Parts: sequence; C-alpha cells; structure tokens
Amino acid sequence: MNFDFIGRKKIWFSISGVIIAAGVIAFFFKGMNFGIEFKGGTIFDFKLKREISVGEARRVMRQFNLEKSIIQLVGKREILIRTPSLSREKQVLIRKVFNQEVGIEEIKYIQNVGPGWGAQITRAASLALIISLVSILVYISFRFEFKMAVTAIVALFHDLLITIGIYALVGREVTPSTVAAILTILGYSLYDTIVVFHRIRENAKQLGKRTYSMMVNDSINQVLMRSINTSLTTLLPVVSLLLIGGETLKDFAFALFVGLISGAYSSIFTASPLLALWKETEPYYKSLKKKYGKINAKN
Amino acid sequence: MNPTQKHALSISVVLFLVLISIYFIYPPAKSTRLGLDLKGGMHVILSAKPFPGSPVTENAMDQAMLIIRQRVDKLGVAEPEITRQGRNNILVQLPGIKRPEKALEIIGKPAFLEFKEVKGTDKKGKIILGKTEMTGRYLKDAQVDFDELGKPKVNLQFTSEGGRKFEEVTGRLVGKQLAIVLDGKVMSAPQVREKISGGRAEITGDFTIDKAKELALVLQTGALPVKLEIEENRTVGPTLGADSLRAGIKAGIIGLILVALYMLLYYRGLGGITCVALLVFATLFWGVIVIINKFTSWGWPLTLPGIAGIILTIGVAADSSIVIFERVKEEVKVGKTLRSAADSGFTHAFKTILDADFVTLIAAVILVFVGIGPVRGFAISLICGICLDLFTALFFTRPLLALLVRFKPFTRPTLVGIKEVVPE
Repeated sequence: MNFDFIGRKKIWFSISGVIIAAGVIAFFFKGMNFGIEFKGGTIFDFKLKREISVGEARRVMRQFNLEKSIIQLVGKREILIRTPSLSREKQVLIRKVFNQEVGIEEIKYIQNVGPGWGAQITRAASLALIISLVSILVYISFRFEFKMAVTAIVALFHDLLITIGIYALVGREVTPSTVAAILTILGYSLYDTIVVFHRIRENAKQLGKRTYSMMVNDSINQVLMRSINTSLTTLLPVVSLLLIGGETLKDFAFALFVGLISGAYSSIFTASPLLALWKETEPYYKSLKKKYGKINAKN
Repeated sequence: MNPTQKHALSISVVLFLVLISIYFIYPPAKSTRLGLDLKGGMHVILSAKPFPGSPVTENAMDQAMLIIRQRVDKLGVAEPEITRQGRNNILVQLPGIKRPEKALEIIGKPAFLEFKEVKGTDKKGKIILGKTEMTGRYLKDAQVDFDELGKPKVNLQFTSEGGRKFEEVTGRLVGKQLAIVLDGKVMSAPQVREKISGGRAEITGDFTIDKAKELALVLQTGALPVKLEIEENRTVGPTLGADSLRAGIKAGIIGLILVALYMLLYYRGLGGITCVALLVFATLFWGVIVIINKFTSWGWPLTLPGIAGIILTIGVAADSSIVIFERVKEEVKVGKTLRSAADSGFTHAFKTILDADFVTLIAAVILVFVGIGPVRGFAISLICGICLDLFTALFFTRPLLALLVRFKPFTRPTLVGIKEVVPE
C-alpha cells in the first residue's frame, strides 16, 4: 500500500483553505463568543427552594435594572443568571433579595470578573504563544533543520487558525480553559509532525532513485499507521471527556478535540508537502526532480 | 549483571515505586488534596493598581500578601492559600468558606487610617478637612469595646512614637475637631478637649458589633501598601465541586479503558504490555501528586484543569508505546529477529519520543511561567505526565518488552500481533 499524499497536495491545501476561509469569514462576521473572563461580568448559579420561571427571575432582576440579564433555568429549581460585572455590594444584595423572594437552598456558584481581567489573560496568553513558537522554532532548527522548523510552525498556525475558526463557526464560548487547551495543541500537534520529520530525515540519507517528494511520500506511508494510532489513542480520552466530563472539562475537551484532529491532519497533509515543495527549490533536489520526476509521473 | 538480570532489576525497582505510591495514596479520599473547584470555596484574584504616592513595588506586594495572610488567619479559614500570580496579582483561595462576601470585604479593604483637622463645613454641611496629621502607621493594636450605652466602639493603641505624635497633634488642636478618616470616609470627628497623652484613641460611630469587629481586624493587620482591586471572584458550592469531581473521574476511567481496549485489539500481546505500563504510569502519577502535596509546601491540589491534563497524558503515554511497537514491527519486517528488533527498535523509537515529548514540554513549561488561573494547573499536570511517560517507557516498557521477547510462548504471531516473525 502506497498512497500518493504529495501528488495530491493541491487537494489537501484546498481542503485546509476552505475550512480556514470559512472560519475567517465567521470570525469577522459572527465574532468570537468570549466568556465572562474576557469581557467581564457576573454569573450567579443558585439552587432555589422552589420552582421558578425565567419571567419571575427577570422580575426580581428588574429591581436592579438588570432585567436584560441572560437568565437560564437548569432543571426546575436551579437558575443561572449572567449580568455585566457587578460590585461586591450589588452581588450581596441580589443574593439577599433572591433569598427573601424565592428562597435559596444553595449557592452553587458565583463568579465576578472585572472588565480589565480579560486583557491581562490575553496578554499572558499572547506572550506564552510567542515564546513557545520561538523556542520551538529554535529547538527544531537545532535538532532537525530550519526548513523543517518553519514548515512545522506553519502547520501549527494552520491548526490554530482552524481551531479558532471552528470556535467562531459554532459559536462556542471561549474561556481561559479554551486558551490553555489551544496552547497545549501547540505542543501536541507537533508530536505527529516530529514523528514524520524523524522518518524523513532518516530516509533523506538514502534517497536512491527517488526525488525528495517521493521520499517524503514513502516516509508518510511508513509512519501512517503510527500517526493514525497515536492520534486515536489521544482522541479516545479526549472524547470521553467531551461526552461525560462535566461543563468545565468539556471546554478543554472541545478545543483539544478540534486541535488534535487538525494536528494529525496537518502533519501529513500540510507540513510534509510544504517541506517537499520548499526542499525541491534547492539545486540538488531540483536536479533529482528533473532526473526522476518523470518516472513518478508515469507510475 | 547480564541483560536479563538488568531488565528484571529495573522492573522490580519500578514496581517497588508503584507499591510506595499505593502506600501513600491509600486511602485515596483522604490523601488527595482537592482544589477549590472540586471541593467548593472562594477564589479571589486581587490586582494591585498603582495610584499617586504608592507605586506597585516588589516590596509593597510582599507586604500586601503578608497583611492579607494575617487577615485571612484572623478570619479562621482552614487551609487558606495566598499566592502571587504574575507581577501584580494576588490569588487568595479559601476552601469551604461560609460567608464569602464578608471575607471578600475584609481581605481587600485598604484600611488606610488618617487623622485630619476639621476646618469647618461647607454650605451642604459636608466637613472640610485639613491636612493629614497622622496615619495608621503608628497603630499598635485595635480592640472592640463598648461605651457606657453599650454601643460598640474600637479602641486604638498607638506605639510609643505614635503616642508622642498623637500628644503633640491633640495639644495643637485643643478646642478643634479631629476627624478620624478610614479609606477616605470620615468615621467620626470628636472635639479635642485637652491634650491626650498615653497613646490611646477610640473610633465611635453608628456601627454594629460585627462591623466593629471587622474594623478592629483590618486595623490590627494594618493598611495595605497598595490599592488592590478585585479582578475576579468565584464561589463554588460544595455540591457543584463534588459533581465535577465525579464526572472528571468517570471520564478519566472510561478514557483509560478505551485506550487499553484499542491497544489490546490492535497490538494484542504488545498492547497488553501497554495496558500494564499505563496502570504503572497512572499509579505513579497519582503517587507523585500525593507525595508532593504531603512533603512540600508547593501546594498542588487536584483541580479540574489538572484532571484534564492528566487525562490528556494518558493519551501521550499510549502514544509512546505505539511509536515503539510500530518501530519494532518495521524492524521485524526487514528481517530482524523479534529479539534484536525489540532492542534496536526501542533505541530508535526513544529518540523520536524524546524529541516529540520535549517540544510538548517546552509549551507546558512556558504555560507554567506566564500562565494564569486554570492554565497553570493544567500545565503542571502535563509536565509531570510527560516526565513520567519518559520514565515509564525507559525503565518499565523497555525491560518488560526485552524480557517477554526472550520468552518463547509470547513470540507466537497470534499473540504478539506481528505476522512475519523470523524463526530464530
């Protein structure tokens, strides 16, 4: 079995292009659904002593001029209210009024995030991203070669764009967990790329009567089962988290899920063809392409 | 020592470490420290904001943390955690707290006490204040007391230097009003009848006993040297935490079983090695968390993001086995015996694993340093997982594989999942 990955590179690049374009369009027209950690706000989650309707809760909130809050029922006796960021005094007051008028059995959750917090998280995350990328670029250049480092980073950007695009498309809430998961994808999506590049480097020593592209294609085929299996075994626990892990864990799991699939795809369908394209601009590999390229075309 | 003995020794050492882990883990409900999101409690992030006259310096932040610690201790919360996050943030975690709002008020109160001369009142009856004569810096103690009418008040006791200063100020202002101002708010403005010596003063006002106690508490611990704003506060009720924990554990166990099943179906006997290695990995991981929490003061409680990190590393650990086995299979295909393939295959595969793990490690380490909030717990789990993955691969999977391929019944194609085994 020898599948022609490199020869069909235009198809793979088109698939990536279409998904990324869709994501970019969604990003600019729909925007991202940022959680309260980014835009600031307050969430109350009360378990009440009796059943309540959204309308009744809205009437309670009207006393505070907060009738436009997002109010959700969780089951019959639990209520989730999202408001703009409130002062501590106001948080206490709302809790007290709810307790008087409806009766609170348990405060399940209260969270308040000031409006400046999101900027701090974003700054920290961007910093982490830049430092990670530079360190990874340096490490791969040192252990492998510069062209591999650059193509690996391009594949990473591919994964980042796809993950962000899918978030914009499906409108899922972006929380700090999402950011953590996306930053982890950085490291993880490289796992697959490195496995492929390891093999390419090994095979490059004995090209035989092959062009660089042919050798890359053979390398991908040799490590294909390995790539599929490593991706699957990482996806299995992530899917388990996504289905039964509870709300916070689902945030992690969804971003990881998208990023892992994209990461597995990009190491084979993005990073490797790009590397082959770039390497064949080198005079030596260019001459090999002239010499053996036609044989490849005939097969 | 011949190779067989070496391998057996390595496996024994790892198994011994597993036993030690189990010893510390048991009983699991007691040994595992849980984070606030799993056991309920309050989590506050205070961010220092510079304002004229008090820049945010290292020293000021250290002092602010000390003061917050004292205040939290006086609140009587069990196992509070007060940590720095980044340059300007202080994270306060109070597990199982009963009245979160009260704690919030006390922790973040600037408690900046000033004594100012009253210059008169404006048209609206608002007091016009003169310059600051003295601040709370000279305060030695503050205690709740009651006046003749049984109303609560707060008695102040100055240091000896403060006493002299207070004597001088009151001597100068006899017949005038001296306002006691807390955080910009006039608490009371009694008339100075005579020079006050002995270093004592009192704050009276219309407050409840609870408010008086709070006031005494914040004055005792002193004023915060920087202005702290609450950036984020989160209170998690105990049942929500318990539900999350249950869901996380369930997802983890199911994830582990799915990975084990997949490995068994695809790699058969070799997959069996992975299953044992995964069990060893998981036990050691748990053991490390418990032991670190027991013997160090790092404070590494298990949080939800931490659980996510652990579950992800289950996948990473299985990946390593796959990279090794696929390489061994390949070497067998090109005509090596299973025995020598196991050796050379591992050596080759380990280089790949090392590079791949190292790149993930770079990302995780950076997350620890610049990460905030949930990100750090996740990154720390990931780092620990990667290191244990390498450890398990090197000292458990490898020797076990090497020993088993010397064991004839194991090398049957149906068991090992490799068809083209060259007869030895």
